[in-house]
Amino acid sequence: MLFPTVEFAIFFPIVLALSWALMPRQQIWKPFIVVASYVFYAAADPRFCLLLAAITLVSQLAVVAIHRTDDERLRKWFTAGGVVFDLGILAVFKYYGFFVSDVSDVLNSIGLGMPLPLVTIALPVGVSFFSFQAVTYVVDVKRRQTEPASPLDAAVYLSFFPHLVAGPIVRASEFLPQLKEPRDPDRVAVGAGLTLIALGLIKKVMIADYLAREVVDKVFAVPQAYSAPDAILAAYAYAAQIFCDFSGYTDMAIGLALLMGFVFPQNFNSPYRATGFRDFWRRWHMTLSRFLRDYLYIPLGGNRKGRVRTYINLMLTMTLGGLWHGAAWNFVAWGAFQGTGLSAEHAINGRLGRIFPGWLRWFVTFNLIVFGWILFRSTDLSVFGDYMSALVRSGPATLYSVPVVGAIALVIGLQLLPERPMEGIELRIGRLRPLLLGAALALVVLIVGATVPSQGVPPFIYFRF
Amino acid sequence: MAKAPERFETIAEMEAEARPGPEGGPHGDDSLMGRFDRWDLRRFTGWDAVKAVALTTFLLLIFAGGSVRKAADELKPGLGRDIVKAIGGPAGWISDRLPLADTRRDLTSWLSPDQQLSGQSFAAGGTSPGKSASVLPPVATAPQPLHKLLVTGDSLSTPLDIQIARKLADQGAGVQVIRDPHLATGISNTGLVDWSKLSTTQAQDDRPDAAVLFIGANEGYPMPGPSGKPVSCCGPQWEAIFRSRVSQMMFNYLNGGVKRIYWLTVPTQRDPARKPIADAVNRAVRQAAAPLGGRVRVVDLIPTFTPGDTYRDSILIDGKDTIVRVSDGIHLNEAGSSVAADLVLQEIGRDFDY
Repeated sequence: MLFPTVEFAIFFPIVLALSWALMPRQQIWKPFIVVASYVFYAAADPRFCLLLAAITLVSQLAVVAIHRTDDERLRKWFTAGGVVFDLGILAVFKYYGFFVSDVSDVLNSIGLGMPLPLVTIALPVGVSFFSFQAVTYVVDVKRRQTEPASPLDAAVYLSFFPHLVAGPIVRASEFLPQLKEPRDPDRVAVGAGLTLIALGLIKKVMIADYLAREVVDKVFAVPQAYSAPDAILAAYAYAAQIFCDFSGYTDMAIGLALLMGFVFPQNFNSPYRATGFRDFWRRWHMTLSRFLRDYLYIPLGGNRKGRVRTYINLMLTMTLGGLWHGAAWNFVAWGAFQGTGLSAEHAINGRLGRIFPGWLRWFVTFNLIVFGWILFRSTDLSVFGDYMSALVRSGPATLYSVPVVGAIALVIGLQLLPERPMEGIELRIGRLRPLLLGAALALVVLIVGATVPSQGVPPFIYFRF
Repeated sequence: MAKAPERFETIAEMEAEARPGPEGGPHGDDSLMGRFDRWDLRRFTGWDAVKAVALTTFLLLIFAGGSVRKAADELKPGLGRDIVKAIGGPAGWISDRLPLADTRRDLTSWLSPDQQLSGQSFAAGGTSPGKSASVLPPVATAPQPLHKLLVTGDSLSTPLDIQIARKLADQGAGVQVIRDPHLATGISNTGLVDWSKLSTTQAQDDRPDAAVLFIGANEGYPMPGPSGKPVSCCGPQWEAIFRSRVSQMMFNYLNGGVKRIYWLTVPTQRDPARKPIADAVNRAVRQAAAPLGGRVRVVDLIPTFTPGDTYRDSILIDGKDTIVRVSDGIHLNEAGSSVAADLVLQEIGRDFDY
């Protein structure tokens, strides 16, 4: 079920009302919210509910086993078992098709050709997110950062519908404490929640989908047919599109959770004002970068084992992070590009800041990030090659228009404004009476709805991941 | 849950505090979970949230109840559709009786990205378009120059459209490819788009020399029969109505100046329940094309993708077993679309110079 759909517009008010009605009786609220979340998930494909249930069950068994023993070796084995299961599910459903033909080729080339079944496997929506959340649960218990939850709490944590299909990746240690007691019904950030939902809708439907339709999809489909001015425009348009698409989803997810009394971690913080790759990853998909840092980079040794190992760890972490986005070489290359940027930055270790002014560091970082998005958006490396050719081909500008350039400038420009006034506006809106905000949200939905093409709202980019 | 100390006034300050210490030092709490506690954000009750969302829903129902009813018609059959229908029916009824929906439409219609369609709807009851091939311009015998090619259809037509455009661009053909996929639409379901009107509009507005049609993933909907009663898929009567609609589309394109149409058949799908629909669609297309001579070429994908009418995920491409379908068992993936594009371009090469 997509957030900006009629089905969800019917589903959410009912669930929200029942949720607050049942909240004081946690023994009823918890099963209710699990059922509601599974209904939400089943709308995509009911069969995938079994997968979600299996991940929940195995992770719960693993954490209970880890918690019951003090033998460090056993704890390690149980952790490995849980993590391997969670990531194994991800590997089979997401990467089987990607690796099978390459593995087959290698086996053939060394004379060990054996028929690996070439079958297409459906990618369960959200599997990349809930499998990572399950990993945080198992590892956090192993690290004694969180206590094992009851099976019901674990089920609520992993299936909670606002974060189920496209994040943010909420860690067990961030969510489970919120289940210990009923959410306080007198301290709900209604204004902030409704504002975020409205903002998310505008970002996704009015900006991201518009830019995709008018510029991005056209140029990335057939870069050969366009020349430099259009290719440059499409690269910046995609930078704006992917930000609005993903942060728009996140805004809605965080807003919906707030209305239900829950807080999710921040996932975006004006990423295009970053003045370096490290800075960018502290602002872009923050929950993923924190996951990669704490559950991959640091366990690999982080920066504690010398310079060379630091670079290797950075490259490995970011390349795997790239692969997490999709089973394709362009994502691997994009991850490696980010790893290279981080390693280079690490190598010069702050000297950049002393040599170059802030605006120049921002300019270079921003354009390198946009260049990276070309790799990310290209469906394969040959399309990327065609895009590079288009970037140096002279020709007319055919896709420029005031709304397109205005939308890109708005998305990037707003992130460069000082934070305090922006947050001040948000705060003032958040103080308005809920009924006034409810009416304003209806107005926003009606306006946004008028911009939806007859074919409906395209899926969020991160649903594919 | 970590709460942010009150001294943080902006996210930037909170974030700065969360940054790691010196090399190897521990990271602070950079989840920013406490950001909503800053500045004494105004809090309301859970029931305020419910009331606000209920008001939003109420306003949407009275201003756009008809959209809920329409959305139900576009959903696949199932419990979800039944629920949306149960709400959409009364909501649409109320909305129809209030002037609010019209006001909304008047005020916001300029924002719609949809094309304004011209032309006639499908003839009621599956009556034949009442035209014969003799009213159409004669078919050119010598290859013609190809300037504009329209590639259209439902979701089956993408990424075929992209593959055709890329292949032509790689050849330096100078052909303008108009890619116009209409996802989730069907000839038997006019809820989202009426393909009779759309085909007329495409021919008139885009003026293509040739059109490639790949459609049939969303068929099988009941269509009104001669008496006005809906006819269910996939008996002879349904097939006759469908054939008439396909025929009407073909005439719309050809009358609009399209010189040739390349219509792809639907390859066998994984789900056996879909086979009767695909069979009826493919038969109807072949029968509708037959009287039009060389103006419509049916590009049969079944021998290539599903020989023996048996579904398979992969086929041999250049001697290598390659997956050509996506996981739904309906659509072609990039590799499959590339093969289909080659077949289409081979056919186009018989009729056009490019």
